[in-house]
Amino acid sequence: MIGVGKAKQYANVLDRPIGKGKQEVSLSAFAFLFSELVQYNQIQVDNIAELERRLEDAGYAVGARVLELLCHREKGNRREIRLLGILSFIHSTVWKVLFGKVADSLEKGTEHEDEYMISEKELLVNRFISIPKDMGAFNCGAFVAGIVRGVLDNAGFPAVVTAHFVPVDGQHRPRTTILIKFAEEVLQREARLG
Amino acid sequence: MIVCVAVVGHQNNPLYIQSFTKADDSLKLHHIVHCSLDVVDERVNNPKKSGLIINETFLGLLNPTENYKVYGYLTNTKVKFILVTTDLEVRDADARVFFGRFHTAYVNAVSNPFHIPGKKITSRKFAERVSTIVKSFGLSSSS
Repeated sequence: MIGVGKAKQYANVLDRPIGKGKQEVSLSAFAFLFSELVQYNQIQVDNIAELERRLEDAGYAVGARVLELLCHREKGNRREIRLLGILSFIHSTVWKVLFGKVADSLEKGTEHEDEYMISEKELLVNRFISIPKDMGAFNCGAFVAGIVRGVLDNAGFPAVVTAHFVPVDGQHRPRTTILIKFAEEVLQREARLG
Repeated sequence: MIVCVAVVGHQNNPLYIQSFTKADDSLKLHHIVHCSLDVVDERVNNPKKSGLIINETFLGLLNPTENYKVYGYLTNTKVKFILVTTDLEVRDADARVFFGRFHTAYVNAVSNPFHIPGKKITSRKFAERVSTIVKSFGLSSSS
């Protein structure tokens, strides 16, 4: 029959699902864009801390929008109110949408109650970046830390998020850890919910 | 007949408010929307008393006043959508569909890189989309 193979036509343009679109974006295109972003910020600032802060702010905007979009796409949307709920949401869903795979691991910090860590062998954004020696401990993963902070903040879990290199025995390149430190009120609320 | 729709941010700041009647009673509509925010907060903070599941997005009929019915919807980021209508029989399913489409339009508006979170939504496209949704709501519920 004619037309049977066509995609379903929606009467109302708003009934069309927010398509997942093409699942993949070219990595080289992203790498070029990201390197330009870093260079642009580098010219404007005098010190490393400021550069890290700017990358984080850029990531924050992305995180806020990603949260809205993902929560809308997911069927049976439920608002996350538990700490572990939102952390596993970031660790699997957000990572899968942004980087095409789940994060390597999610751990709870041993020293402090309010610290959690998401680790990755090598962050996608850092794949084509090598930090010069005189920049010390700077990590372009600050962009990803900003994304995580954006998602947490807008979901109601204020936190301080930073990215660190953690040397691993037996491997030449250190692995990257995103350290999440939750605000006091989040822990109190969590304790109250039992 | 939908009279008014509103988007309210997580600190109860208005992000978008639009009325669809010819009469000039926008102040009264603002007032109704504002009162219904209290009902939303009450539902969110006391789940046991209101008997609702704590994480549901669609909040249902909030507040039947005089000749208006007010429906609420809460998103993950504590942004609230309020719908004020004069229809006497609005089916639950219709309201849910309406809010689903409205949420889609809202996500599209917020994804705009020029949109500043926390400020009012000034996108013309969003306003057009909302008018379209409102018109189709009237048609489907009258059938």
